[in-house]
Amino acid sequence: MAIFTLNVNGKKQQVNVDPATPMLWVLREHLNLVGTKYGCGVAQCGACTIHLGDSAIRSCQLPVSAVGDKAVTTIEGLSENGDHPVQKAWIEHDVAQCGYCQTGQIMTAVALLKANPNATDTQIEAAMSGNICRCGTYVRIKEAVRAAASHQ
Amino acid sequence: MKTRFDRRNFIKISSAAGGSLILGMLLPTACKEPEAVATCSFQPHPILKIDNTGKITVYVARQEIGQGVNTSIPMIVAEELDADWKNIAVEIAAYGTMQPGDHDTGGSQSVLLDYEKLRKAGATAKAMLVNAAAAKWKTTATACATEASMVTNSNSKETIAYSELVCDAAKLAVPKDVTLKSPKNYTLIGKATKKSNIKDILTGKAIYGIDVKVPGMVYAVIERCPVLKGKLVKFDDSACKQVGGFIQCVTVASSAAPMHLHAGVAVIANNIWSALQARKVLKVEWDEGTENTDSTEALFTRFAAKSTGKPTYEVFKKGNAPAAQKAATNKIDVTYTAPFLAHGTMEPMNFIAAVTKDSCELWGGLQLPDWATNTIAEDLGIKKEKVKTNLTLMGGGFGRRLHFDYALEAARIAKQIDKPVKLIWDRTDDIRNDTYRPANLHRMQAAWDADGKLQAWQHHHVATSIAIMTDGPEAKNVPEMLGGASSDLWYDVPNVHTGYSHVDFNLQRGWVRAVEICVNTLPVECLIDEIATAQQKEPLAFRLSLLENRPAYETEITKFRQDPNRIANVLKLAAEKIGWSEPRKPNHFMGIAGHHFTFAKAYGAHAIEIELIAPKKFRIVRIVAAVDCGIVINPDGLKNQMEGGTVFALSQALMSEINVENNRVVEDSFFNYKIMHFNEMPPLEIHYVESQEDPGGIGEVGLPTVAPALCNALAAAGSRPRTLPIKKEGFEWV
Repeated sequence: MAIFTLNVNGKKQQVNVDPATPMLWVLREHLNLVGTKYGCGVAQCGACTIHLGDSAIRSCQLPVSAVGDKAVTTIEGLSENGDHPVQKAWIEHDVAQCGYCQTGQIMTAVALLKANPNATDTQIEAAMSGNICRCGTYVRIKEAVRAAASHQ
Repeated sequence: MKTRFDRRNFIKISSAAGGSLILGMLLPTACKEPEAVATCSFQPHPILKIDNTGKITVYVARQEIGQGVNTSIPMIVAEELDADWKNIAVEIAAYGTMQPGDHDTGGSQSVLLDYEKLRKAGATAKAMLVNAAAAKWKTTATACATEASMVTNSNSKETIAYSELVCDAAKLAVPKDVTLKSPKNYTLIGKATKKSNIKDILTGKAIYGIDVKVPGMVYAVIERCPVLKGKLVKFDDSACKQVGGFIQCVTVASSAAPMHLHAGVAVIANNIWSALQARKVLKVEWDEGTENTDSTEALFTRFAAKSTGKPTYEVFKKGNAPAAQKAATNKIDVTYTAPFLAHGTMEPMNFIAAVTKDSCELWGGLQLPDWATNTIAEDLGIKKEKVKTNLTLMGGGFGRRLHFDYALEAARIAKQIDKPVKLIWDRTDDIRNDTYRPANLHRMQAAWDADGKLQAWQHHHVATSIAIMTDGPEAKNVPEMLGGASSDLWYDVPNVHTGYSHVDFNLQRGWVRAVEICVNTLPVECLIDEIATAQQKEPLAFRLSLLENRPAYETEITKFRQDPNRIANVLKLAAEKIGWSEPRKPNHFMGIAGHHFTFAKAYGAHAIEIELIAPKKFRIVRIVAAVDCGIVINPDGLKNQMEGGTVFALSQALMSEINVENNRVVEDSFFNYKIMHFNEMPPLEIHYVESQEDPGGIGEVGLPTVAPALCNALAAAGSRPRTLPIKKEGFEWV
């Protein structure tokens, strides 16, 4: 066990955990930020996507010891009132079914559009293909990311 | 076990229960919500509460699993109530506040079963508000009109908000008879409406079972015997004790019907990561028993052998199909197969249980909470009144959470410790211990006369039964041939013989989204295409010739109204939208399939256009789905379900399969249990028929015709797959 001071959603937070603990579980269990979801634990589904700095990262593969003082952003810290342009596009296209994967989808899309506000369909495809939606909302995700891209 | 679930019985029982819910609860209560300043409220029905802040709460009894009931159900209530949709708050109905069966969620039944009940609840509340307004204005109810949570006095043109009538309405008697709207006057039903909890979902505030925390809770993962029916010999947890946070191990006994548990050792820790680490170093010795050498390869060989004999269970018989087949010169005899399939919900199985000597509390997602609660009570030896079940959102259902093996495991662990325990399955646990859709094989035979008129149709479905899994060897309703495709063929053929044979296999099986309809629609909709091809007839026109002149009838076995013309209509709609009769580009081919989803009272079709790149190598150019499910409550929800159903079925057609060797599931992750990804998604359009028929279900209707439409397109391109997923026959898809 070791004490880590993390910078999560703009707030300094201390946790006392095994250094190998993935950020996924630190966020969910120790910091009560359950919007980051567990789907596979091996970076195959994208449900646990968060931002480390500006990059989309699978938090299930990110040990807490590797985070350092880098800014961590989770879905809870993305916007004050769920009004990030990508969240608004998701509402506009009523993307979700069960909704479980959607926070991860949004975190991936936000990172993509931050790096490339005018992402092409090919770039959208490349970025979003690591996030699985078992309900099959891909058609809507694509429309929402496209819409968010053109709004920026 | 006394309580058993059967899709067919569920549908009948739930239909009966749906009509029997008693109106009459009148609960003027002080509102307890902290944000509200309500001083009175009334609840003319358990599902609906209106308070004098204007808030209208709809308690949704059916479970939200992504199919949209937490939007469609409140829409139906709000429609009859003439409520402003903005005033509607949606809550999960607490378990125990409804009638038995009301929470059950499966078989695309929620809207179909609850439609009248929900309308009456809304209309009853509206009548009471109108009566209160009429009394205030000293006029009659008929002189009052309602719209957007307001009552208007038609004579004086005065208006008053529902919120201002609540305290008076609460004192009135609940009317016994209320007038329902004519569907022609619907203003909300039929209007695309966004998911009621969309904002919670997108901000991470939506709480699924896996997100629930209970004070003092510990975490568990289970090391399971890889083979069902195996036994624990011994375990050694000395290495686990070196893992920080580890607490203890307890055993989980195996069990048989209705919920099959693998023998297991639960590893308990004060956090999930420690539990997972400790499990890695746990040493276990299993006695796998004698049923540990079988494989899916061997199973399909047994299926094939069985298919040449007579079916064990005769399902439907009309005329003498074997004799007509024998006498005919024009005939076909082909076999189609599909593999075991896993659900792969994004939220893996998980559950929380807290058990004391004489009580139990449960938290998590359950599609059939009555069955789970009652069975767990019995298993623990606790009175069911002493079991409190707390229901949550589910990160996908697809039938997986009709089964509650994960909940039973959690309860058995909790019984042995003095703390609440949250059991989590990791993804490998989830894929390796699913309640798999049974592998299946269909021997299909048909014959026609010199004029091309179909004379005989035989369908022998060979599979490893779900009912035998859930109900034991003495199970009734073993044949998974419920519904139109097999037991009540919608094509007009004079001699029909369908039947089912079960083959034993030591693997857990269960209901997966549209199970019987999917597995039976593939062979039916491919065979009809093969017959058209053999007769050199255009496949759509051939289907229509067998459907359009056939009057609606009640199916003989399952007693559903079946209207072949509605199948014809969705086929024609899909064909029109994909441009079926327009000239096709070089190397472009189309396939089509239609069906009646009998117990969902819905009709669906898919048309698929492919481009052949090389022999057996293709890309999907476009998919068009058409559906007729009667009155559409929420067109946006319908489209979302049809899109999702199509994607789910595309995975099944193209890539998904569960293989078994030595009675162990080979696949262990999304890496080898393949499902559709974003970049694999072809363009997809959904169309629906405007209808005034009572609403049917939609959650499963998007699946059954995808695989046959795709196989038919590939056949048109020169090579017909008869095995799913089609990659098994060397088809390559780009």
